[in-house]
Amino acid sequence: MADAADKTAQLLETLWQKNLPIFHERMAILQQASDELSRTHSLTQELRAEAASTAHKLAGALGMFGFPKGTDLARQMEHLLIEPRELTATDAAAFSVWVKELAEVVTP
Amino acid sequence: MRKILIIDDEDDIRQVAALSLETIAGWEVVTANRGAQGIAMARSEKPDAVLLDVMMPEMDGPTTFKNLQADPATAGIPVILLTAKVQGVDQRRFASLGVVAVLFKPFDPITLADQMKEALGWTD
Repeated sequence: MADAADKTAQLLETLWQKNLPIFHERMAILQQASDELSRTHSLTQELRAEAASTAHKLAGALGMFGFPKGTDLARQMEHLLIEPRELTATDAAAFSVWVKELAEVVTP
Repeated sequence: MRKILIIDDEDDIRQVAALSLETIAGWEVVTANRGAQGIAMARSEKPDAVLLDVMMPEMDGPTTFKNLQADPATAGIPVILLTAKVQGVDQRRFASLGVVAVLFKPFDPITLADQMKEALGWTD
């Protein structure tokens, strides 16, 4: 079992490296949403839905690769974006911080 | 050897789940990235269990599950839902569908097989 776990951990690292382009694509979407939010304090329906879906995917994946804080941050973003209300300047500031923290968590 | 069908639209989730179940449990794994494809594979591959994502484009997990249940060829295959949704209302809704269990993303790749075995009542 220990051997299998070690092998799994090694293969997980390989998979993480292989999936880094997907991660970067997802981060780019969140960054785009953050930039738009900071500028206008609002998001189009399309970008908000895309960013919420992206945050949802990251929340489900990052912990699996050993980044539990990344999952927590992505989940915070998802919850904010799916709330049925208009976003505010305070939301924009928080979202911007979360995106920066998320980038730091997974790219030390 | 047990055979598991993983249905999930996200490549990274499918890859990690397959890696986990193959390496840790020694199970055979087949995968599908859409509900319709998964239903077809359930018919052709006759897996011992299905690990089914909730949020997928075109046909979501609950609808896929209902279709599997409606077909006598696949109705007896136990299904475990996999979801990143953590709100209580979602958990209760998924549990009420009649699936064997609901597991949550992110899962631990080291213990995923054990969680599935426990949910499925498999002792081997």
